[in-house]
Amino acid sequence: MSTISIESVTKRFPNGFEALKGISTEIAAGSFTVILGPSGAGKSTLLRLLNGLEIPSGGSIRIAGEALDKGNLRKLRSSVAMVFQQFNLVDRLSVVTNVLTGRLAHRSWVGSVFYLFRTEDMDIAQQALARVGLTDKAWSRADKLSGGQQQRVGIARALAQRPKVILADEPVASLDPVSSEEIMGLLREIRDRDGITVVVNLHQVDLAKRFADRIIGMNSGRVVFDGPPAELSPQALRTIYQREGMEHDNHLDLALAYA
Amino acid sequence: MTTISIWRWPTPNGLPPLPLVAALCAVLGAMWFTASLVEVDWVHLVGSLGKMAAFAGHFLVRPDWEYLPQLFDKMLETIEMTVLATAIAIVVSLPLGVLAARNATPHIVVYRVVRDLLSLMRALPELVWALVFVSAVGLGPLPGVMALALVTVGFMGKFFAEAIEVVDHKPVEGVRAHGAGWLQVRLFAMLPQALPDFVGTVMYILDHNLRAATILGLVGAGGIGYDLVMAMRLFQYDRLILIALAIYLVVTLLDRLSDQLRSRIIHGARA
Repeated sequence: MSTISIESVTKRFPNGFEALKGISTEIAAGSFTVILGPSGAGKSTLLRLLNGLEIPSGGSIRIAGEALDKGNLRKLRSSVAMVFQQFNLVDRLSVVTNVLTGRLAHRSWVGSVFYLFRTEDMDIAQQALARVGLTDKAWSRADKLSGGQQQRVGIARALAQRPKVILADEPVASLDPVSSEEIMGLLREIRDRDGITVVVNLHQVDLAKRFADRIIGMNSGRVVFDGPPAELSPQALRTIYQREGMEHDNHLDLALAYA
Repeated sequence: MTTISIWRWPTPNGLPPLPLVAALCAVLGAMWFTASLVEVDWVHLVGSLGKMAAFAGHFLVRPDWEYLPQLFDKMLETIEMTVLATAIAIVVSLPLGVLAARNATPHIVVYRVVRDLLSLMRALPELVWALVFVSAVGLGPLPGVMALALVTVGFMGKFFAEAIEVVDHKPVEGVRAHGAGWLQVRLFAMLPQALPDFVGTVMYILDHNLRAATILGLVGAGGIGYDLVMAMRLFQYDRLILIALAIYLVVTLLDRLSDQLRSRIIHGARA
């Protein structure tokens, strides 16, 4: 059973840049998929399409059998959470309020006008914070936390939503190695315990190999590799990270030697 | 001759940017040519200094302490008008501000219409609107409050909209991505970010409205202004000095209060 099915999706931006040149794939429910690829390969665009933050120029996306379009955007988003590279928290709100915004999808605007939440939503938010180990920071302002802690708040917000899918767009790109390890471990644990489908964009090949069930390699808007981490050979990495017009790329050799 | 200048502007050729120089020259030139039209006469200006000093001498009188209770009443009325008008304006301006912000408006047409409506409200000063409302509803503080609130909405709506336009887009996307609705995104992602600017605007406008409310009495729209004008006309300098001091006192207190409130909101309650 697949949660996400992507069918010949293309994306062309108004400036003419073609970020995705026909992507078709299925992502199984409860899987941990990592998307690898150089900057500008279209990884972020793909993830943003899955959440409806961008609208595809062609092709279709179905999440849990339902096609993604403008009409049911909010409904589908309520089951698709997103974790961002820059955390995208509301700095001036308390940590717990940020987590509570994950509940908004399930609540009408009437209570929101008065910043009111249900008690059950508060319980869910506190549970989510406990999961990421930030119960003691609940009432701090979000911008008073360190980067690693802010990303954990981001994950708690995603969890509070009770999603089927969590999309993470380079969640560890602005973090130190220890925090990165922690965040990836959290995402993995969420997949294992809650059976939530996790799709992560990464720059770190070693993290991808260790945490993923499946790796999708992208280069200039196309899928160039798709398989389990064991199949990610040096040759495959070359295909993923190759640069246009470079017959022999010294930087590539050097970078992959340590991957 | 090779003189290497020590000073240069951060431009490719080291000279100041031409458009800037041209604009500056144009403004200075326009001022030069129009000075005679608006009767800016240096001789007259310097000659008036003596008269100014003589006038200031009138204030060296014993204040009329008997007048204090009435002054207190009138001052309180002025403050009440200010606060009430500002409060009404906040309630009206918040939704209008959202509609008039490019990144929060439901449609570009709504944006344009609301922007134009706001500039219509600002087009006339409080005093003129007060004249209109005095004719409509009669003398007293009510037309004053109406006039103040109207003009304030014009300014506050614009300021609010501009505060919303500069909010960081990332948190907005963060909240939106989790399925928050149209209004929820505005309330939970945009409003908190715009809040410090809002508070700054409200405090500035309170300050401005207090001063505006003091002159509305001029046209019979309530407040201390009526007493101020009467004292001026009847040469009651012993009252005038008290009124001026009272206004100064309230404005200063308001300023202190606004400083405190702002730093609290920007840096968080306990920081």
